[in-house]
Amino acid sequence: MITNDREFRAALDGLDARQQRLAAVRFVEDVLPLCTDERINRAMVVAADGGASTTALADALKSVKAATIDCHARCGAEGDWEAQAGYFVARAAIAALTPLGQLPGGSAWQAAMSCRMAQTSKSIVSGENSGELETERQYAILSAYMNS
Amino acid sequence: MTASLERGLHAFKEQIDAPVASFFSSCVRCGLCAEACLFFTETGDPSYTPIHKLEPLRRVWKQEYTFWGRLAKAVGLSKPVTDTELAQWETLVYDSCTLCGRCSMVCPVGNDIAYMIRRMREGMAAAGHAPEGLIGATTRAVTIGSPMGVKLPALLAQIGHTEKDIGMKIPVDVAGADYMLLLSSMEIMNFPEFIGAVAKIFSKAGVSWTISSEAFEATNSGIQIGVSEIAAQLVQRIVDAAEKLKVKSVISPECGHAYMAIRWEGPNLIGKPYNFKVVHILELLDDLRKQGRLKTSGKETQRLTYHDPCQIARRGGVVDQPRNLINMVAENFVEMPETGTMNWCCGAGGGVSANERADELRLAAFKRKKKQLDVVRPDALVSACSNCRIQLEDGLEENNMDIPVLSLTETIAEHLVDD
Repeated sequence: MITNDREFRAALDGLDARQQRLAAVRFVEDVLPLCTDERINRAMVVAADGGASTTALADALKSVKAATIDCHARCGAEGDWEAQAGYFVARAAIAALTPLGQLPGGSAWQAAMSCRMAQTSKSIVSGENSGELETERQYAILSAYMNS
Repeated sequence: MTASLERGLHAFKEQIDAPVASFFSSCVRCGLCAEACLFFTETGDPSYTPIHKLEPLRRVWKQEYTFWGRLAKAVGLSKPVTDTELAQWETLVYDSCTLCGRCSMVCPVGNDIAYMIRRMREGMAAAGHAPEGLIGATTRAVTIGSPMGVKLPALLAQIGHTEKDIGMKIPVDVAGADYMLLLSSMEIMNFPEFIGAVAKIFSKAGVSWTISSEAFEATNSGIQIGVSEIAAQLVQRIVDAAEKLKVKSVISPECGHAYMAIRWEGPNLIGKPYNFKVVHILELLDDLRKQGRLKTSGKETQRLTYHDPCQIARRGGVVDQPRNLINMVAENFVEMPETGTMNWCCGAGGGVSANERADELRLAAFKRKKKQLDVVRPDALVSACSNCRIQLEDGLEENNMDIPVLSLTETIAEHLVDD
């Protein structure tokens, strides 16, 4: 069982590109309710398919990039942290679909970070410390994935 | 005459200082400023000619401060500026001008047209003719401390997350640090990884720094909307925090207008010099490079180009520094046509991005950047302003151009030499 970020990162570093994507999808699925954009749901279905073609993955990536641009905070507009949680979920989806080697720390690590940021955004609204809980859940998710 | 119009016209008169008066009297109506404005070039609408945007201010100048204008006014031969007219001009002054200053660069008689637009916005705001979005942003900047309403707990939450991500402590309220880092709300909300990038770079370079919990916001909506009293109040907050923490320098982050506000407008707004320096993050990173304290490894092989944020390059003269930094980490850096001090604006500066009414025009103006990008066809676009970054992403998406937009500071951080 993974219990800290050092073990978490080490475990992620040991995964190949396909495994990183599949692990990242599981992280994103855990925070999907924070995002209302249907494109993210649909893209994660594609990403969760271990046999998805390169074209299908590229199309899904294009779709989540468009979703991310649609939901970022607008400069000067009143910040809505609940909406911002959705933005970070969309960014996590981008990370999940980005080919390995193009993101610092790896796709799955970046997806995990954005998912935690989504929970942090939610916690700014609620005052609960849900970001910490997400980290713990990610340890469990990855442990389960490694053992599956 | 309504009270608001009277206030506005009074403010116009107050804003007509010696430079404004001399600029109006020396304008030769050549129209060169039109060709320098992306709102004109991308729409062909002559009302977007920069000098035309100043017409109500010009009429007040003529009627109040010239012999023939005063005579014409006295005998009832001049056309007074009306409230209806100011309402019509609101979109010209706020929606179709990013204060980018390119028009000022081409004026053959040296008129600083962007400076005049800034002056005119003071009168427009006083007359009650400013966009809702900017009014909201300015109100939040005054009452909350951030135009986007970002409060300290939110910043601390983002800092906490970043600390876990990068495995190092982000210094907050450290008295006696050399540098105090400011942030834009856009970085806190959309790009919190910027904080981590700075922390990693400073840790490697041995920079002593801190963030202030009392003044972390870099941006200044008072300047964008045109209310100098508010702009001065926002600058003073930063000055108070810097003095309290006894820092030697304040760092302006990856935000164009924030740099213009704190570096160039600030001392004039508060009426006294700072007892600390102000540097843009790219200036500091380039200084660290020169001192051998910024070490990178590996180079991006993809074709990179750089978008100069107007207030950083044209207003601030920070042109060579980003290129020095990019060349540290890029094998294949290409320049777009017309860069540096003659760059084309992204289309969203000067408060345009905060003004929803201007969205269609903002994206039309992006076509100028598209034309520049079409010439060099980069794999990625690097910049150093969060507002530009969002506008570039919006514009690229709108035009089906698959070009990632990168922060220069974050790109440098990704190439830091490992211990």
